[in-house]
Amino acid sequence: MAAPDQPPEKNEEARSAWLFNLPLVLLTAAFILIPVGGTLVTSLFRDVTYLPDAFVGLQNYLRLAADLHFWQSMRFTLLFVAVSVTLELIFGLVFALLLNEAMPGRGLLRVIVLVPWIIPIAVSARIWELIYNYEFGLFNFLLQHLDLTQQPVNWLGSSAGAFAAIVISDVWKTTPFMTIILLAGFSTIPQDLYRQAMVDGTHFLQRFIHVTLPLIRPVIVVALLFRTIDAVRIFDLIYVLTGGGPGGATTSLSLYSFQYYVSGDFGYGSCISLIVFLIAGLLAVSYIRLGKFSEVLR
Amino acid sequence: MQKAACGAMGLMASFLVVIVLFAALPGCTGDAPRLTFWVGGAPQEVDYWEQLVVGFEKDTGIDVEIIRQPAATEQRKQGLVIALESGRPDPDVFLMDIIWISQFVQSDWLAPLDSCFGENSLHPRQFFPSVVDRVDRRNNRYYALPAFLDVGLLYYRGDLLQRHGFTGPPATWDALVEQALIVQAAERRENPGFNGFVWQGAQYEGLVCTFLEFIATHGGGISIDGTVNVSLPANEKALQFMQDLVRRHRVSPANTYTEMKEEEVRRGFQRGNALFERNWLYAWSLHQRPGSAVRGSIGLAPLPHLPGAETAATLGGWHLGISKTSDVKDQAWKLVEFLLSHDTQKKLLMKLGWYSCRRDVYQDPEVQSQVANIETLQQIVNHAVSRPDLPYYDHISRILQRYVNDCLAGKHSPREAITAMQQEIDRIEEIYGSP
Repeated sequence: MAAPDQPPEKNEEARSAWLFNLPLVLLTAAFILIPVGGTLVTSLFRDVTYLPDAFVGLQNYLRLAADLHFWQSMRFTLLFVAVSVTLELIFGLVFALLLNEAMPGRGLLRVIVLVPWIIPIAVSARIWELIYNYEFGLFNFLLQHLDLTQQPVNWLGSSAGAFAAIVISDVWKTTPFMTIILLAGFSTIPQDLYRQAMVDGTHFLQRFIHVTLPLIRPVIVVALLFRTIDAVRIFDLIYVLTGGGPGGATTSLSLYSFQYYVSGDFGYGSCISLIVFLIAGLLAVSYIRLGKFSEVLR
Repeated sequence: MQKAACGAMGLMASFLVVIVLFAALPGCTGDAPRLTFWVGGAPQEVDYWEQLVVGFEKDTGIDVEIIRQPAATEQRKQGLVIALESGRPDPDVFLMDIIWISQFVQSDWLAPLDSCFGENSLHPRQFFPSVVDRVDRRNNRYYALPAFLDVGLLYYRGDLLQRHGFTGPPATWDALVEQALIVQAAERRENPGFNGFVWQGAQYEGLVCTFLEFIATHGGGISIDGTVNVSLPANEKALQFMQDLVRRHRVSPANTYTEMKEEEVRRGFQRGNALFERNWLYAWSLHQRPGSAVRGSIGLAPLPHLPGAETAATLGGWHLGISKTSDVKDQAWKLVEFLLSHDTQKKLLMKLGWYSCRRDVYQDPEVQSQVANIETLQQIVNHAVSRPDLPYYDHISRILQRYVNDCLAGKHSPREAITAMQQEIDRIEEIYGSP
C-alpha cells in the first residue's frame, strides 16, 4: 500500500522490522553469543582449578594440534556424522515415501514410527545396552537359541563393533525425526504435478527424481542441517552405551571435552568445545549454501 | 501500521520480562544461610542419609538440606567441581571420593578442620592412621575425614572349593589359576556361563584399582616421588598376567574388558556364576542377603600374590569435607561430627555394610558379634595401597585406563602398553606438574 516515493512510511516499516527482530537479537546474544564468547576467552587461558590462572594465548590450541587422542576423537566424530546422517536420510526418505501413500491405518503407523524419537536418549541408550549385552543381551540370546554361535559375541568389544552399535542405536532413534520433516515436505507438493507427470507416462522412480526431489530439496537440507549439528555434538548415547571405549575408540569430541571439564582443566576443555562449535558452524554454512536458500526465497 | 508497532512493542516487552526473569533466577536461592549436604549414590543410599540426618535435625535444631546428586561418581564430581570453583556459599558439607581430595585441596576448596578438633570432640586420632594420615592430612593440616572405608579383596565360593578338593582360598596367583581352571571346567558342564575369576576390567576408574592390585601383588607399583613412574619389569609381568587371565587361561570372561564394572561382577558372582570375585567390601552384605544364590557359601580373603611379593588392596572410600566458602561452617562441623560419631558409623556398618574408619567401632561388642571377617579385614587394610595422590590424578588415571584396557583387548602387548603410558604420563606431568 505504501508507494515507493513515501520515505517516512518506509522508515517506519524498517523501524518496526527492527523492533520485531530485537527480541531475537537479544535472545541470541544472551544465550548464544555470550556463552560462545566466554568459551573463546576461557580457551585462551590456563584455567586449571589447582594451578594459578594465566593467559597463554594459543597454547591450548597448539597442544590440541599435537594431541593424538584429540585427532582420534575428531576422526571418530566426523565418521560417525557421515555414516549416521547418511543412513538416517536414506531410511527417512523411504519411511516418508511409504507413509505418504494413502493406505489403511496410516495415521496409526505415523504415530508408531515416531516412538523411538519420543524416548529420551539416555533411556534408549540403556535399552540398546541391554540388547548388545554380552551375558544376557537380546542379540546373543537370539544367536545362541538359533544355534548360530556357541560362544556369545562381544559386540562392544572391538572398535568396529562399538562404532556399528552406536550408529545403529542413533539411526533407530533419529530416523523418525527425518521421516516427519520429510513427510511435511511431501505434503506441500501439489498433487497436480504428479497427475501431470503421470499423463506424460512417467514411472514412479522418474516422478520421484524429477518432481519430488527438486521440490523438497530445501526440506531435505533443513533436516540434514538439524541432524548434522546434533550428530557433531553427540554425547549422551556414547556416554551411556560405551563410555568412549574400547580403549577410547568411540570417544566423541564432546565426550573428550567433558573429560577435561571433570578433571578441572576448563581452558583445554573450552578449546575442544570451541572446535566442536566451529565444525558445526562450518557444516551449517555449507548446507545453507548447498540448499541455495537465497535462490529459493527469491 | 500503528497496531503492528504496538504489537511489536508488546512482544518485545514480554520477551524482556522473560529475559529479566531468567537473569534473576539464580539470585532467588541461597540468600538466607542454609546448611546443605551434597550426597549421591544409589537411591536407597541417599534415602538412608536422609533418615540419618532427621535424627541430627531433632537433636540440634539445625535444618539440613540434602542435595541429591547422581549415582555416577564422575557426575557427582562434575557437580561439585563447578559449584566449588564458583566460590558460592553452598555446598557446605559433601562427600568426596578418596581420589579427589588432592585436587580439591590444591584448588583451595576445602576448609582445614584442625581448629575444630578438641579434647572431647571428633579427632583424627580416633581413625585408622593408615587412612587419615595418608589421605586427609596435607601440609600438617586435616582437610577431610573418612566417612567410610573400602578396600579390594577376593571373594570365594567355599562350597565349590571344597567339592573339588581344595582346602581354602588361593594364596598365590598360580594357585588361583589352577583352582579356577579345574572348577570352571567341571562347573561348565552344568552351567556354561560359569567363570573361574571375575574382576573389573572395563575402561573406567575401577580398572586402575584392579591394575594397582595386580602390579603391587607382582612386586611392582606406581611411584610418585619426583615423577610418576610405572615402567617397572614387575608391572609388565602383572599386565601380562591380567591379559593371560582373559586371553590365555580364559578363566575370566571375554566381556571382562568391555562390561565388567563393580555391579556386573557382583551380580554374576551373586547368581552363582563364578568361583572367585575381586570386589570391594560393599559386596559382602549384598552377597549375604536373603535370595542371594551364594548366601552362606562364600568367604573373603586377601588377594593372592606372587611368591616373594605380598598381598595388596587398593584403598577406596569416601571422605567428608567442608567447603572453604561455606557460610555456616560451625553448623557444618556439627553435622560432620554427627555423621562420623561412633553411633552413626556403627549404624552405617550394620545397616549398609559400610565399614568405618573409626577404630572404636570394631571394639563395639554388638559389631564384634554381628560383623564377620573383622580380623581378615584388619589384615587387608594393613596392605592397602593408594592410587597416585596428585591433583592431576584424573589425567594419569585416564591414561592407565586406556592402555590397560587396550592391552586386555589384545591391541597392545604389555611392554608396548607400559612404554606408551609412561610416555603420555611424562607429557601430562610437563603440563600439569609445575605451577
